[in-house]
Amino acid sequence: MLRIRDASVTFPASDGEEVHALDHISLDIAPASIVVAVGASGCGKSTLLSAIAGFLPLTEGTITLDGRKIEAPGGDRGVVFQKDTLLPWANVLDNVALGLKFQGVPRSERRERSRRLLELVGLADFAEKPPYELSGGMRQRVGIARALATDPKILLMDEPFGALDSLTRETMQQLLASVWAKTGKQILFITHSIEEALTLGTTIVVMSPRPGRIVARFEADFVRDFAESGDIGPIQSHPRFIELRQEIRSLIHKPEGARTGNLQ
Amino acid sequence: MTLAANSRTSFPPATAPREPSSRPRRPASTSTLGISLVTLASLIALWFFAAHFGWASPLFLPSPAEVLTQFSAVAADGYANGTLLDHMLASLGRIAAALGVGIVLGIPLGLLMGLNRWVKGIFSVPIDLYWGLPPLAYLPLLIIWLGIGETSKIVLLSLSTFAPICFAAQAGVRSVPAERINAALSLGANRLQLFKSIILPSALPEIMTGLRIAIGAGLSTLVAAELIAAQSGLGYMIMSAANFLATDIVFVGLIVIAVFAFAFTSGMRWLERRLVPWKGKL
Repeated sequence: MLRIRDASVTFPASDGEEVHALDHISLDIAPASIVVAVGASGCGKSTLLSAIAGFLPLTEGTITLDGRKIEAPGGDRGVVFQKDTLLPWANVLDNVALGLKFQGVPRSERRERSRRLLELVGLADFAEKPPYELSGGMRQRVGIARALATDPKILLMDEPFGALDSLTRETMQQLLASVWAKTGKQILFITHSIEEALTLGTTIVVMSPRPGRIVARFEADFVRDFAESGDIGPIQSHPRFIELRQEIRSLIHKPEGARTGNLQ
Repeated sequence: MTLAANSRTSFPPATAPREPSSRPRRPASTSTLGISLVTLASLIALWFFAAHFGWASPLFLPSPAEVLTQFSAVAADGYANGTLLDHMLASLGRIAAALGVGIVLGIPLGLLMGLNRWVKGIFSVPIDLYWGLPPLAYLPLLIIWLGIGETSKIVLLSLSTFAPICFAAQAGVRSVPAERINAALSLGANRLQLFKSIILPSALPEIMTGLRIAIGAGLSTLVAAELIAAQSGLGYMIMSAANFLATDIVFVGLIVIAVFAFAFTSGMRWLERRLVPWKGKL
């Protein structure tokens, strides 16, 4: 269980003013849930992820994972970045095995485990390729496999499909739903796409900028159907989906002054 | 739930190997080779005709045949205290020693300067200061301190190879993308693993570029130093020949140096392709 309590992050801006990137955020991420944070750019959703990953210190508040306070990056939190961060000098298999290598897992075992993960993300035939010969979508699959390899407690995904074309994106969403259904990982997923949030989230938190706050949260379970059927069409045309999408959209586009009334 | 149990019911594999996302391979080096060879042949032909038709006095421009004759004469009988091979080995030995010093000191110090603010703060000022000087300006000082022998020349050359290697290693460390470091930390890397598995390989392309620059800087400093203060080496041979207006031997020396420079650069490019084939990708 990941617990975020009153987390605030304040940056000094260039004009001397302070920017409240995160303003007293509280959020729990339960095992086997996908929490999707959605909001316009600048709403602090990426800051939230960086703080959980340990890349960025909190100004106030605490984040704990299974009771342990988070203070630095660590192998218990797998991160998938928007831009892939694969090592160009290592082939796909060795990239997936990187975390296991850091843990000191023997070579034959880490290759074996990495191969299974490449099968899971459908890239078994590409194990020996250098990452720069892969397409953007395939590289993100390698990134997901790499983050899963060390069996982290939580997967943090920072707009991982944001740079992909819409068709590849759908395939990747389907892949993630099926990986989630198989592994039962808890996931924090950041996106600016409302459709993506509703398709993938078991909990959707809507964030607003300046200061970065959670303005609403919704429960959904479209992802279970999606993981089973693999068909995005019926899900996105479901009346409840359309209703929620409209509600979230109006929350995000509401003028800043009118947003003070908290839904939750 | 373990991943192993599910590997059989995995996501449908991507089958068709798609075309590489990188731009199509351009046959740059191979397609210009023919053109370059023709240019080289034309230059030699021009030289031949210029000498043959007496466009310039043989004192200024010896004919290719004469240079060739002198080449074998210098190779066999020697000139200015040694055969051509002696001079070549003297020059090569100096530059090899200087490169060795530059690599052994420059790479570790440059890496440390990239990693640590204190090391950078302490060393960047003295290195910046001396690197701005033309090496020949402080050669006299080195000769006063260390004598006219090999030591002063090797120290001079080492100084000129050290700085570019050191700067390159430092730039290499600083060019590592922050996200790549964050990714490694999230995969549980400790500091030593981060350095060995991420920072060092990421810095390697820059270091290779630095080595290539260092060889160029070393070579030009070498010949200049030998012109001024040496009893052997290609620069010394050229200077001795010039004193007697033996232009053909000057040409021999220049051609040998040009071939060396070309061989070094090509060798480094080959090494780069072997060691850092990913350079410029991702």
